Amino acid sequence: MSSPSLFKAKVIKNARLNVEHFILSVRPEGIMPAAQPGQFFMLGIPGRLDPLLKRPFGYFRVKEDALEFLYRLRGKATAIMSVLDAGDEVEIIGPLGEPYPLPKPKKVPLLVAGGTGIASLYPLADAFGGEALILYGGRNSDELLLTEELRGICRVLGLATEDGSVGVKGTVIDLLKEFLAGKNKNRHVVYACGPRGMLKAVSELGLEGYVSVEERMACGIGVCLGCAVKTSTGHKRACKEGPVFRIGEVVFE
Amino acid sequence: MSKRLEVKIGKLTLKNPVMTASGTAGYGAELSEFFDLSRLGAIVLKGISLKPWPGNPPPRIIETPSGMINAIGLQNVGLKAFIDEKLPFIKKFDVPVIANVLGTTVGEYAKLASRLDEAGVDGIELNVSCPNVKKGGIAFGLDLKAFYKLIRKVRGCVKQAILIVKLSPGAPDICEFSRAAEDEGADAISLINTIPAMEIDISCRKPSIKNVIGGLSGPAIMPIALRMVFQASRAVKIPVIGMGGIRAGEDAVKFLLAGATAVAVGTAIFVNPRAPINVIEGIEDYLKRFNVEKVSDLIGGLQL
Ligand SMILES: Cc1cc2nc3c(=O)[nH]c(=O)nc-3n(C[C@H](O)[C@H](O)[C@H](O)COP(=O)(O)OP(=O)(O)OC[C@H]3O[C@@H](n4cnc5c(N)ncnc54)[C@H](O)[C@@H]3O)c2cc1C
Ligand SMILES: Cc1cc2nc3c(=O)[nH]c(=O)nc-3n(C[C@H](O)[C@H](O)[C@H](O)COP(=O)(O)O)c2cc1C
Ligand code: FES
Repeated sequence: MSSPSLFKAKVIKNARLNVEHFILSVRPEGIMPAAQPGQFFMLGIPGRLDPLLKRPFGYFRVKEDALEFLYRLRGKATAIMSVLDAGDEVEIIGPLGEPYPLPKPKKVPLLVAGGTGIASLYPLADAFGGEALILYGGRNSDELLLTEELRGICRVLGLATEDGSVGVKGTVIDLLKEFLAGKNKNRHVVYACGPRGMLKAVSELGLEGYVSVEERMACGIGVCLGCAVKTSTGHKRACKEGPVFRIGEVVFE
Repeated sequence: MSKRLEVKIGKLTLKNPVMTASGTAGYGAELSEFFDLSRLGAIVLKGISLKPWPGNPPPRIIETPSGMINAIGLQNVGLKAFIDEKLPFIKKFDVPVIANVLGTTVGEYAKLASRLDEAGVDGIELNVSCPNVKKGGIAFGLDLKAFYKLIRKVRGCVKQAILIVKLSPGAPDICEFSRAAEDEGADAISLINTIPAMEIDISCRKPSIKNVIGGLSGPAIMPIALRMVFQASRAVKIPVIGMGGIRAGEDAVKFLLAGATAVAVGTAIFVNPRAPINVIEGIEDYLKRFNVEKVSDLIGGLQL
């Protein structure tokens, strides 16, 4: 795996998908880092004191010589990101963390995304060359992003919204349970990314596969021990041993 | 290489006055992917205890204006794994290695210090100022009598390495503790450790970190650190290693002027893993710009 580097990048575009969601496209100074699905980057504005720390964002894709991140407005840092313009400079560290492992032959990849969890699963679906099944849930239609593009890179796309505005009414867990009903679970390898509650629920279904966790991070490179995740074998670093963990490894409380 | 940046801490000569701060550089391996560790004045490694410690339950960190609060709780691999698995890697670099230790009793500190001394580290930093562990540690940094006893005992165990005592910003009188460390034979003192602090998440009315209270670090604490380094360095003749919020050469120069002989870069590494290198280069720039012959000319050079 390629080792991480620290680099500056110029914003090419910061496209607003809807009220809360954006795609940031940046062109790295120097060579394009070779990231794998599941890995992430720490992104910040150089020289700023508040927010001071960089923030983690999943590797989404490389398109037209630009490294892209799909992000949602949350707090301080993402608010500042949302007003970045073409030409602005950002500072990035990456690629970081362990990627999603690829499935054993003959198992069908089943991707389970909640909200912005789709950001790291999108390139994974792409890597499976149209073979993956995707189940994708959000609170409302605004949280289901890029559904047309997703349809083009997977075998089946199942959608769920809590308000019922698109797809099945309910959570992505409801959708997953419905999908699995009467089927042989062992045919699939699950890859899940989304809020903690969703990952916990996925982990309780006795499936084989992986979850990608979102922990607060200070450094992203493994030196601060701030991103500890409780696992069956003690604390592990989400940024180094993770963010992708085998289902059953993370102890959700 | 020019000796312009050289400083001395006890019998150790550092090629420049910039170190990592304990707990912000791990055991060196991760940072080595971002720069050549041999460029550092010294590397100070993550604190270790006699037995491995699991650390505090998450969440352990929260960002606050111009800083962050952490309650890692000294998660570490323990003395044996440190010597067997971590030390060999870092010893390959041409850089003085300083181990940071934390015990719950005088006996534990003594054992840690003598074993590390035998294992060939260049320096031992006694952490008597960690706000995040329940027993020991900071208790020694706040109680002058216990502090004297601890330093005396440990001094007797350390033959080869230099002995550094890391002071608590909560010490009732920083000058008194600094003098106590000097009296008992410490080669240097370092300060400041993080400042006890907290943050609240109003959306769920809970503390932002599980441990409720953690230690504040980063640029937010720099003016306090600078004041304490100034006071401590006037109280003693041994070198002072200053830290707290240093990000750039200019910050380091302030600490040197206040009286520090060397500085450590901590939280800034999280923002930019190459921060210690930026600090070294920033100090060099300052020397050139202001026509200062060597860095040691800056130490305590504050004009009052
Ligand atoms: C590996 C990884 C990959 C990620 N990938 C993506 C991605 O691709 N796209 C994406 O949109 N996001 C992603 N995230 C999440 C993203 O990092 C966060 O949304 C971002 O850090 C938010 O920063 P902010 O400053 O805008 O929000 P902050 O102000 O840091 O707030 C973010 C959240 O932190 C909590 N918080 C804030 N302040 C406090 C407080 N005082 N006390 C307690 N809790 C508090 C709140 O729950 C808040 O909603 C990823 C996270 C990880 C770990
Ligand atoms: C995440 C984290 C972990 C730390 N761990 C230790 C430690 O193990 N031992 C120690 O003596 N100090 C520890 N410190 C304190 C730092 O070494 C330093 O004294 C303090 O953070 C102030 O410097 P800064 O503002 O540059 O970070 C830690 C600090 C942080 C932020
Ligand atoms: S974020 Fe610092 S160790 Fe993971």
